Amino acid sequence: MRKGKLLVAPAISWLIFFFGVPMLIVIAVSFAARTPYGQVIFNFTFANYQRFLEPLYIRIFVDTVFTALVTTLITFCMGYPLAYSISKLPHKWQQPGLILVMIPFWINFLIRSYAWVVILRSQGLINTLLLKLGWITQPLPLLYNDYAVMLGMVYALLPFMVLPIYVSIEQLDHRLLEAASDLGAKPFTAFRKVTFPLTLPGVAAGSILVFISSLGMFVVPDVMGGAKSALIGNLIQNQFLSARDWPFGSSLSIVLAVLALVLIVLYYKAIQKQEGGTNNEEKLA
Amino acid sequence: MKKNWRSSALFAYSLAILAFLYLPLLILTLYSFNDSRINAVWTGFTFKWYIALLHNQRVLEALTNSLMIAAVSTFVSTILGTMAALALNRYTYKYKAVINGLLYLPILIPEIVMGLSLLVLFSQTSVPLGKVTLILAHITFCLSFVIITVNARLEGMHKDLEQAASDLYATPWQTFRYITFPLALPGIVAGALIAFTLSIDDFVISFFVAGPNSTTLPLYVYAMVKRGISPEINALSTVLMFATISLIIIAQVLQPQHTSSKKEKE
Amino acid sequence: MKKRIRLALVGLFTIALLVMGCGSNTAKQSVTNEKGEKQVLNLFSWADNFSPEVLAAFEKKYNCKINYDVFANNEELLAKIQAGGAQYDLIQPSDYMVSTMVKLNLLEKLDKTKIPNMKNIVKPLQAPSYDPTGDYSVIYTWGMTGIVYNKKYITETPTSWADLWNPEYKGRVILLNDSREVFGMALKKNGFSNNSTNKDQLDKAFADLKTLAPSILAYDTDTIKQKFIAEEAWIGTMWSGDASFTYKDNKNIGFVIPKEGTLIWADTFAIPKGAKNKELAEKFINFMYEPKISAQNYEYIGYNDPNEKAREFHSKEFLSDPMLKVAVNDVKQGEWLKDIGDGLTLYDRYWTELKTIK
Repeated sequence: MRKGKLLVAPAISWLIFFFGVPMLIVIAVSFAARTPYGQVIFNFTFANYQRFLEPLYIRIFVDTVFTALVTTLITFCMGYPLAYSISKLPHKWQQPGLILVMIPFWINFLIRSYAWVVILRSQGLINTLLLKLGWITQPLPLLYNDYAVMLGMVYALLPFMVLPIYVSIEQLDHRLLEAASDLGAKPFTAFRKVTFPLTLPGVAAGSILVFISSLGMFVVPDVMGGAKSALIGNLIQNQFLSARDWPFGSSLSIVLAVLALVLIVLYYKAIQKQEGGTNNEEKLA
Repeated sequence: MKKNWRSSALFAYSLAILAFLYLPLLILTLYSFNDSRINAVWTGFTFKWYIALLHNQRVLEALTNSLMIAAVSTFVSTILGTMAALALNRYTYKYKAVINGLLYLPILIPEIVMGLSLLVLFSQTSVPLGKVTLILAHITFCLSFVIITVNARLEGMHKDLEQAASDLYATPWQTFRYITFPLALPGIVAGALIAFTLSIDDFVISFFVAGPNSTTLPLYVYAMVKRGISPEINALSTVLMFATISLIIIAQVLQPQHTSSKKEKE
Repeated sequence: MKKRIRLALVGLFTIALLVMGCGSNTAKQSVTNEKGEKQVLNLFSWADNFSPEVLAAFEKKYNCKINYDVFANNEELLAKIQAGGAQYDLIQPSDYMVSTMVKLNLLEKLDKTKIPNMKNIVKPLQAPSYDPTGDYSVIYTWGMTGIVYNKKYITETPTSWADLWNPEYKGRVILLNDSREVFGMALKKNGFSNNSTNKDQLDKAFADLKTLAPSILAYDTDTIKQKFIAEEAWIGTMWSGDASFTYKDNKNIGFVIPKEGTLIWADTFAIPKGAKNKELAEKFINFMYEPKISAQNYEYIGYNDPNEKAREFHSKEFLSDPMLKVAVNDVKQGEWLKDIGDGLTLYDRYWTELKTIK
């Protein structure tokens, strides 16, 4: 018990000082007012939270959560197989494989996004190719819409899905799979009943990282979406960098954080149920 | 036969995803040889950006700053994060749920809010802004990511081996050194990779906590946006990318062959 | 398992080497700084905003070192200066930000006797409305917002902001991604001031923008040049300096200042309160307006040179640039943005709503 405290103490104290204290300031600001020139004055008010209840802002929240959910789902569909393939590589090549997946993310995000614009724009790589092949007669509008925003998000967040999933697949006891197939389980059944449930911790961690990160995105909607869609990340960014309304920006951030926390708790509960469920099935089998 | 078909389909799918990841980098490499400063359309082949890069003291300084800050913050956050994950997983204590929640909170807060609030903290405590504040901030936002990733590994780990070790009178340290640590290592490496990735490309938080003489590469690149990002940055990215890939290949080739690794794992 | 450890160790070792490498590098630099052999000018500006040769010339002449740090947005600059603790000697706020900073008491008064070259600046720009006495700022770069269009697709030269609403340009229109720019444009179209905070006027502008929304390809400030060069977009709003850049890569580009008038902007030099090296900062400002230096500098950065005395040192190409000339001829058409304080809330509310239109 004492050891547990000793181990967790440095991280906790670090976060209390460098995160907890600043957050208290943010919470205080979210209940404050501001002067016409954007200075914060501490007159206690709920106005910033009330303002959030306007249909306009609620709609932006709903849109953002929807986008984040779809992004998470797509990254899962891409990330799981990729992580699975890496774990199937010869042992020596697994870590290099992992790093190969990570390298693109060490290159500046802005210039990678601009490269996507070059690929997708009306005179871009894909449209030129399709036109040359005669498959289309008019360039497709691939950019500056919600699909492009999702593509950008999936592209930006894939590693956060791949790494945790790889980490849990890699430790899978292959004897379990052999046992399943010895008992006559088809590969897909074995995957569904054995592999997948055992890698759920990785799936959960990956999904949470991707989901949360996509909630706060603001560069992707600007570059890939042509700044035509309003997501919560952009709204918050605007409060600080153009509307000069720190109190409203702070209250939006806190609402966002609380909302994400609730969703995560629900998600974890669901996962635990699933894990419990499969364990029972196994016992029955 | 059937199994073969399945795994090659999976492999092809994964290669396609890898291609998806590298397609923009291909464009970026191509455009590093483009003659145009604004780099909107192809105007001609040139090496001049690579030559300009060699003489661009500012970019090179920003790059060393970025690498240094990423290395230090990865190192510290990985150690702190691994320790915390171990504790969360192995021990029970009071208010565990609350502490768990606190550990996850930093990734829930938008970057700009974190950046500004850290700026307020540093200026109120008169910590001069610079590389030190950058490192402190980076460790803070990397920490939670490391904890979540390492935790994902520990949760799926069998506890029998640790149990067996302590039954055989191994000291807690020995159990950790010879059982827990090696088993958790892939999770730790993954956590470190995430931390490094976050740190090396962070812009928003870095902007607010940077001071004189501590411009990082992302800060430099974002600030160039108004005038148009110079193709020198494409050239730099290309060099970095190929250098990293070659380093990995060299490391792989130099490594002595082992056949027993699979056994060790089991 | 051992292999993995080894790999991790190799990685760590490389990182450690790197750290030690740059650590010792920077340590050396700061040592010479602290010894006081060399004075340091901490400059906080937009990236790529000076000719590197001019900076080097200044360092040589005054035996000092310039630390050139960068920001990308006026509000970021404000946040940072407001929080204090950022030890800059010289900053480059834009027009309206100068007046905001003066009101917030964040700027030092300039000692004009130390900056004699200030008188080289063209008259209309010596005392602009954001700093009418010229006590706090010196104009550095400036330009105007106008209509940019591609002559290949748009045969009739636009003359009015209303031309953006032409249904033939549907899906090809770009507006700057900035609420003040977009609403300022729509206000001007209706003959109002682009600093209006009158609700009726803003409502009218907003109603107009709603009808324009379906035509818009994207809102963009940062990569708008690329969109016009690659001919993704046909017509839109752009700064004169950017139009000049765009024209260099695509000769079909035209640029006009609409008859209703437009916005004029400037980036300036200013000294933040508590600057450690105010004297050197003033020397720097003065240096930048020496005719020869100024010509060399503006040729590099490609913006309008406000320095009258520098004209004789400029190349013919620079002086005859059609985009830069447009801006010079139309200064009277321009209206500076003012800090509208609380009015921003309504702008932001409408701006957010505009973005939710699908």
